[in-house]
Amino acid sequence: MGTLSLLVFSPFIGLIALLLAGKQSDNITKRIAAFSSLIPLILSILVYAQYQAGSGLSEILRWVQFEVGEQTLTLNYELAVDGFSVILILLTTIIAVLAVFTSSWQIKQNSHLFFMLMFLLEFGILGVFSADNLILFFIFFEITLIPMFFLIGKWGGTDREESAFSYIIYNGLGSMVLLIAIAAIFVTAGTTNFSEAAEYFRTSNEAGLQLGIAIAFLIAFGVKLPIFPLHSWMVKVHVHAPPALVMIHAGVLLKIGAYGLIKFGVGILPASFTTLAPLIAILGLVNLLYGAYLALVQEELRSVLAYSSISHMGIILLGVAALNEAGIQGAIFQSVSHGLISALFFLLVGILLVRTRTTNLRKLSGLARLTPVLAGFFLVAALAGLGLPGMSGFVSEFTVFLGIFENMPVIGAIGTLGIIMTVVYMLRAILKMTYGTYRNMFGDMNDLGMGELIPATILLICIVVIGVYPNTIALTVQQTLETLLVGIGG
Amino acid sequence: MTTIPLQAYLILALILFCIGLFGALTKRNTIIVLICIELMLNAVNLNLVAFSQLGNNPGITGQVFSLFTITIAAAEVAVGMAILIAWYRHKNGVNVDEMDGLKD
Amino acid sequence: MIEFAWLIPALPLLTFLLLIVLREKLKKASGYVAVLISGITFIVATLVFLQLIDVGNFLMEWSWLTIGSIDISFGILLNPLNGLMLLLVAFISFLIHMYSLGYMDGDQRFSTFFAYLSLFTSAMLGLVMSPNLLQFYMFWELVGLGSFLLIGFYFYKNSAKQAAKKAFIMTRIGDVGLLIGLILLFWQTNSLRFVDIYQAVTNGDMSGGMITLIAILIFIGAIGKSGQFPLHTWLPDAMEGPTPVSALIHAATMVAAGVYLVAVMYPLYMASSLAMMIVAIVGAFTAIYAATIGLVQNDLKQVLAYSTISQLGFMMLAMGVLGYTAGIFHLFTHAFFKALLFLAAGSVIHAVHTQNIKEMGGLNQKLKLTSAVFLIGALAISGFPLFSGFFSKEEILASVWAEGQYGLFIIAIVAAFLTSVYMFRLYFLVFHGESKLTLDKVKPVPMTMKIPMMVLALFAIFSGFFNTSWFGTYIADFLEEGATYLEGIHHGSSIWLMLLATVVSLGGIALAYLIYVKNALNQENWKTSGTYQMLLNKYYMDEFYDNTFVKGSRGIGLGFQYVEKYFVRLIILFIGDLVTTFSRTGSKSQTGQAQTYTAVAFLGLVLFAAVYMLKGGY
Repeated sequence: MGTLSLLVFSPFIGLIALLLAGKQSDNITKRIAAFSSLIPLILSILVYAQYQAGSGLSEILRWVQFEVGEQTLTLNYELAVDGFSVILILLTTIIAVLAVFTSSWQIKQNSHLFFMLMFLLEFGILGVFSADNLILFFIFFEITLIPMFFLIGKWGGTDREESAFSYIIYNGLGSMVLLIAIAAIFVTAGTTNFSEAAEYFRTSNEAGLQLGIAIAFLIAFGVKLPIFPLHSWMVKVHVHAPPALVMIHAGVLLKIGAYGLIKFGVGILPASFTTLAPLIAILGLVNLLYGAYLALVQEELRSVLAYSSISHMGIILLGVAALNEAGIQGAIFQSVSHGLISALFFLLVGILLVRTRTTNLRKLSGLARLTPVLAGFFLVAALAGLGLPGMSGFVSEFTVFLGIFENMPVIGAIGTLGIIMTVVYMLRAILKMTYGTYRNMFGDMNDLGMGELIPATILLICIVVIGVYPNTIALTVQQTLETLLVGIGG
Repeated sequence: MTTIPLQAYLILALILFCIGLFGALTKRNTIIVLICIELMLNAVNLNLVAFSQLGNNPGITGQVFSLFTITIAAAEVAVGMAILIAWYRHKNGVNVDEMDGLKD
Repeated sequence: MIEFAWLIPALPLLTFLLLIVLREKLKKASGYVAVLISGITFIVATLVFLQLIDVGNFLMEWSWLTIGSIDISFGILLNPLNGLMLLLVAFISFLIHMYSLGYMDGDQRFSTFFAYLSLFTSAMLGLVMSPNLLQFYMFWELVGLGSFLLIGFYFYKNSAKQAAKKAFIMTRIGDVGLLIGLILLFWQTNSLRFVDIYQAVTNGDMSGGMITLIAILIFIGAIGKSGQFPLHTWLPDAMEGPTPVSALIHAATMVAAGVYLVAVMYPLYMASSLAMMIVAIVGAFTAIYAATIGLVQNDLKQVLAYSTISQLGFMMLAMGVLGYTAGIFHLFTHAFFKALLFLAAGSVIHAVHTQNIKEMGGLNQKLKLTSAVFLIGALAISGFPLFSGFFSKEEILASVWAEGQYGLFIIAIVAAFLTSVYMFRLYFLVFHGESKLTLDKVKPVPMTMKIPMMVLALFAIFSGFFNTSWFGTYIADFLEEGATYLEGIHHGSSIWLMLLATVVSLGGIALAYLIYVKNALNQENWKTSGTYQMLLNKYYMDEFYDNTFVKGSRGIGLGFQYVEKYFVRLIILFIGDLVTTFSRTGSKSQTGQAQTYTAVAFLGLVLFAAVYMLKGGY
């Protein structure tokens, strides 16, 4: 078994450790969880280093082969990573460690089960990014649904059960559509391996079928991304799930949609996606503006962040629709950047909730007076979210707009309205919360302690490093970019 | 004397079976339903005996088989009546339409 | 030394990081650290500049972002224009750091103030040294960040919070124009570096229409940052920030960045006469528009703010009529006398704790130095002969005349006249006459505040001599040397123009004297007239923006929420209903009736038999 399988299955170490430990006191459980979450992180850094060094990381194990009519359909256990997935894997493990760490003081009951489910979730996500064929991808995709359902439903805030059900039904329906698309590919191409399928579709010319599969992919990943109008579940999850979980959800799970669209959508079916590009661009625009205007009128910080996520994902769609180097690289960058920024935001929300139990903007006015460091971090996160240069958000937005102006300048021009509105809603929400007169509603609040400061600073450093020197990620992605664009340009 | 052709027996059995089926599916009284089931079983017996005598492979197998059917019919009626009496004691009526406890 | 030019923006950045992290430990010392490092920055800038005079140009680059076949780099560019700007920004920043030691003394967030001030300085210096438009844009926004943080420094005041938000949003609107222009320029020339862009324009790679479009878009960015009409309303509100901030950012440096942008992109503008025209018209209009508003405002800093907007209008007007050197020269002199005026105003406010000029008067008795330097600044800005403003303003007028823009010339003259009037109105109302306050409560001005004012006063008087037709046009020569693309800009002026400028400026002073010292004109009718109300309310622009854009955006947001609640939810409900209907229909078939089940079973059997018979097998 290679490093990749080791990496994918590493969360099980934590899972098993917790199982064996049984019901211990809270402290011990949390300590075990925190330490075991470091293992996937270390392995992912190893994988990243190996990828950079260029040594092969793919694994194939024979699984199933059966014959239907004249075709042989093969299904293997295949893992491989490319530039995009290796970065997302790193993102996952980093956010997972921080989420496990920060949930230690947010989860009060049943923390044992909570961490086990988190590890199961991490296992699913790592598998999604490492899978090299569609069916394995789908299996891991489904694996992420179950722990999320329980995590939201059991440890969330008010309305948690409704959110959990909403989550699983929406995503289940999306998975159904995805399965149909995968089955179609399996039957026509005889394989679901990514590169082989891409090869097949390049030479075949069943344009109608390809378009149908492409639309199915769009819908399935559109539920995950999410694309208007399939976004309501995500708003509920952001608002009602425990903040530590939302760090992973907004930070990584939503990116599975982007990953699927880019790698499997554009990678396997570039011709159909070129046809769909105007539609995707318009959907991206709708996401961007709809999310922004809605975020403007929310009264609760978490709702603002939820609609903000929708808006930022719109930028990813615009990048995909541009179908050129700048656009796709911008989409990849935005996935990473938004992941980090959302994680930072929800980390801070978790920290805030421990003290104030509410994220209502009106009640929170004047935070800067009592907890200046926390308020400062919120402000910095907001600046990152609105694309201030020097932080990763700017690089991704700039690259996406660079891409889209080449092919669809009108849409780009309308999209810049989104850039303006992002500033408006972000500043409104954060300033309402931090500046202004202090309403003495929460008594004495402690400012950030060391345990809270360190995770926040780590995320901030990641965001700033990418913003100040984006080639740290850009160089890793170049080869993947070329592979993806061969289908489009060629 | 002209032998009665096989088809006559089969048609008789068919008619009896259909009457039995019709009664089993439409009658309201459970006892009538049980009697109709008996009718269907007897129609089948008739078929078996007719084939044993006038079929492609004449032999005694059909008649032996019909003995089995009669026995089983008797047993089934006994059980059926027992359930019916228990039900009657409970509900004071034997209307099939009222027996819908397995409904959603 | 010139290879260490990167130190210039790096040192203030270091100050920022240090002061943010060590806020608590340093406290009072942080001011000294900041002043020291800004002083060192100024020395390095001077050394670099001296070397630059010999070398002429310097470029250093390293790789930053690779996008497939596109390579974007980061670097440092030094040429005469930005060498001058470097020197100016570093110098004024240093003086203001020193001033703030006295002004912000006793403030609870003393260290944070210096941290933000250093951040701003770092960003401004970085902006000036950028070799490509993207890096320029990045520092442009960071400068906006510094401005935002400092305007909202007194964050517990709602007005400060609103002002900071407004500044950020309005400049962002302008920035979007710059961003689009930048991107379009990239796809036209395949590079973002200034030298490549100049080359492309000279080669004629782009169509005329495209050049005009890009030039206008870039100018929109300048409009936002430099507070030109219609994106000007944030500047007066920005006066919520502490006065040193107003002096540094909103008078001398950040707002000049817009003019600098036009200057850097000048080849583009020279290639499109329509764009130049727009720049000139916007500049001229803004100049007179802001001057009229400044005439009636009663807040000391507000008058100065509108004055800044107006003077920036002059600079834009200059740029728009091929008066490149005139515009830059005025930027230069304006930085000195405007910063001086603000610092003097700060000194007044520090002493009397009010900003309403109606409550002041006779302050030249107690604040002798402040009064003197304010007078110097006022004389400079009014274009009093031989002061710096005289030379720079009259070069602008000369360029307008030489370009043949007689309409704009008249507007400029009127605006210059109004400048004198409102400036001296301010002087007379604040420093002259009877004092309306008890003067013993006036606090003395500390030395850390006096020295910068005196230095600036010196420059306000003498900086004009860097570029006069009598004593030597040093600045013009320096800027234009080797810059082949700058052919065709105007120089020098004529005697009659100088006389006209003198008459206008003295006339303004005289009028102000008559009205406010001698009370020669009846002010009752004027104060109740509609025009006065309109001017006092700044032509109702704020209300206009509030009602259209602010309320409009909110309206759209609420509209979308309506869509969320009803339209999107409807889809969910529809799908839910669909499923429920199916299941209801399905469960209807579970009647519990044995007869029904049997019937269905039998039907199935018949179906099997039929299929079997028809298919002849399984």
